[in-house]
Amino acid sequence: MGTINSAFGMMSQTLDADQEALNVVANNVANANTPGYTQEQPNWQENQPISIGGVSYGQGVTETGATSERDRVLEQRLDQQQQMASASGSRLTSLNTVQALFTPDSGSASSTAGDIGSDITSLFDSFSSLEANPTDNALRQNVLSTAGTLSGDISNAAASLNAQRSALDQEAAGETSQVNALTGAIAQLNQQIQTTSPNADAGTLEDQRQQDLSQLSQLIGINQITTENNGLAITTTSGQLLVSEGTSYQLTTGMVNGVTGFFLGNTDITSQLASGGGSLGGYLTARDQDIPSALGSLDQLAYSISTEVNTQNNAGTDLDGVTGTAANPLYIFNQPSIGAGSAANMHVVMTNPNQIAAAGAGDGTGDNSNAIAMNKLGNQSIVNGQTPSDYYSNFVTTLGATVSSVQTENTAQNASVTQLQTQNNALSGVNLNDEASLMTTLERSYQAASQVFTMLNTIIGSALNLGDATAVS
Amino acid sequence: MRVDPYYVTNLVGSLDQAQASEEQLSSELSSGVSINSLSQNPVGSGENVLLLNQIQQDDSFTQSSGLVTGQLQVADSALGQVVSQLTSAISLATSANNGTMNSSDVKGVASQISGILSEVTTLANSSYQGQYIFAGGQTSAAPFATSTTTSPAVTTYSGDDDVNYLESPNGQKIQLNVPGDQIFMGSGGSSVFKALNGLIADYSSGTVDTTQAVSDTTALSSALSYVSQQRVTIDNSITQVTAASDAVTNVQTQLTSAQTDLMQADIPTISTQLSLTETQQTALEDVIAQLNSSSSDLFSKLPG
Repeated sequence: MGTINSAFGMMSQTLDADQEALNVVANNVANANTPGYTQEQPNWQENQPISIGGVSYGQGVTETGATSERDRVLEQRLDQQQQMASASGSRLTSLNTVQALFTPDSGSASSTAGDIGSDITSLFDSFSSLEANPTDNALRQNVLSTAGTLSGDISNAAASLNAQRSALDQEAAGETSQVNALTGAIAQLNQQIQTTSPNADAGTLEDQRQQDLSQLSQLIGINQITTENNGLAITTTSGQLLVSEGTSYQLTTGMVNGVTGFFLGNTDITSQLASGGGSLGGYLTARDQDIPSALGSLDQLAYSISTEVNTQNNAGTDLDGVTGTAANPLYIFNQPSIGAGSAANMHVVMTNPNQIAAAGAGDGTGDNSNAIAMNKLGNQSIVNGQTPSDYYSNFVTTLGATVSSVQTENTAQNASVTQLQTQNNALSGVNLNDEASLMTTLERSYQAASQVFTMLNTIIGSALNLGDATAVS
Repeated sequence: MRVDPYYVTNLVGSLDQAQASEEQLSSELSSGVSINSLSQNPVGSGENVLLLNQIQQDDSFTQSSGLVTGQLQVADSALGQVVSQLTSAISLATSANNGTMNSSDVKGVASQISGILSEVTTLANSSYQGQYIFAGGQTSAAPFATSTTTSPAVTTYSGDDDVNYLESPNGQKIQLNVPGDQIFMGSGGSSVFKALNGLIADYSSGTVDTTQAVSDTTALSSALSYVSQQRVTIDNSITQVTAASDAVTNVQTQLTSAQTDLMQADIPTISTQLSLTETQQTALEDVIAQLNSSSSDLFSKLPG
């Protein structure tokens, strides 16, 4: 009803509303640098007007709380992109360590010692030098020495790769506890959110949940599914359930074939995690794909060179007139029985340079035909259908191309993350200019309401006085 | 239109990138190498392996050919001396055969040819760096020895027929030796030692059996031309080695130049890029400093 009292009522409501809105502004400003905080907007609700005798009278305004300015879709997109960027980032770090083992030989006198490509050539060249003077002791020593350099460099590279594999294994295993802590926290928040605000944005609780989700997605690839009552279900990228409403399922680890395997309940989900994203996915890809591939190539190279050179040396006659036999073989390298592990085990077993069989079987010691044959091995397709140098060259190119493509991916994904982050910040970040202008508006509104209040006070005073000007002031 | 209130963070990110780029360019400049990791140029890294392989092979051949040239030249000079020795033997025999010499002169010819025989034997047992070069594959022992138990004496060969080759990187096979029996005891009666031993036996008694002596002299002549032919093989090998070595050196020069182009840092380009990066970095630093220093939000402008 349009009385002065009701006007008073409306004004005091307005003052309350303005104060509450100012609280929201103050909260925003206070949390301007809090990570994960989503800026809140005060909600104004016009009160239901009443109608008396066909005339409608307004009832003022109420401040009905604050709404967080968030876009769930944008946040999910950001999480997904961070997942991928995280995965390619950790994979790139591992790959850079791998490729540092095979830095290209610049060809100058001071270039990198330890280049396997040059070592391969030196070995076969040592046989070529032996052709010129097969009985010369210095040239024979040179054969053993180049063989030693080659096997040393290959076995060192293999040892480094194995060490890196263990390190990655430990990193990956270490992340399980972080993942479990986060899924546990999210499950709890789910419960709280579902009980306190099942139908509306839960404000700070949702901010916390989003922070946890963001951290979780950087560790492990996840899919988020919104469920009823503002709940959230989280699965791995390939569909295994991690969090369902208030329950979280723990990741466990165990040894499988010498490396750490990851289990949800009793299911081994290691390979799914590797392709799923997050830094765990990146580490697992490097551990189970990139490093074994490099080791496999080195093993093939070591196996082929060792067995072929051994066989050829055993087919000739050495400086003491001894021809190689199956029972007493003249082996230069440790003879590997299988490909796997032959790189790590490659070493020279021959100590006496006289045992290098430069002469053909049964020929005089001045013959060089077996030295020619051993030199020729370097240009024959003895390693998986390729010459040793071609094989190593292809290995190096493939490795470099892999690293380069992961680098490109990572750069693109990081750029995308930055873009999405910018969009998200624009929407949800606290913009101090906006807060300042809102604050000014609310101040003015408060001032205006107080002015109206004062005026109404004067009017009531006049009404009470009703003719007698001094009864009430 | 909303703006990202934290955009300065993005600028700092760009600053970090500019700094990383500057570090990489500086290290390229200081090392002089353009490919410092496989991912910078995967195909180039692979090519580099192959180029270096070829260059090293060529280098090794050049060194080996230096070694074998010495050996071939020793063989050539030995055979040259054998030819001149045999030539004097033939002229001695011819003068003994014409019937004008007396018995003591004929005996003198026999002892002179005997001296030539031992000289030729020494030459046939030539060695190079401790290995006997006319012994085929049995290079650890002197191949020729004369036994005087019979008359005429018999020179035996204890080497074998083994021939060694040197292979050049493009597959050319260069013969490194000729077996001693092939040179000095050639088939079809052109054996140097048989002829010399025969002549010594012919003249040592002082009386010349002319038919026998003439036949032995003819045999020696054909043995001499045979030795000269064998010498050609050695001379050919020397030429081949030199030619192959020159060809290989040419190829090696080209390959080295290609490899250098591949791996060497392009100094002008890098210097330009480095200067641009430094400019960008300075500009970013100024922008960030400017934005941070000025009071840039509305709060600072409100009265009170």
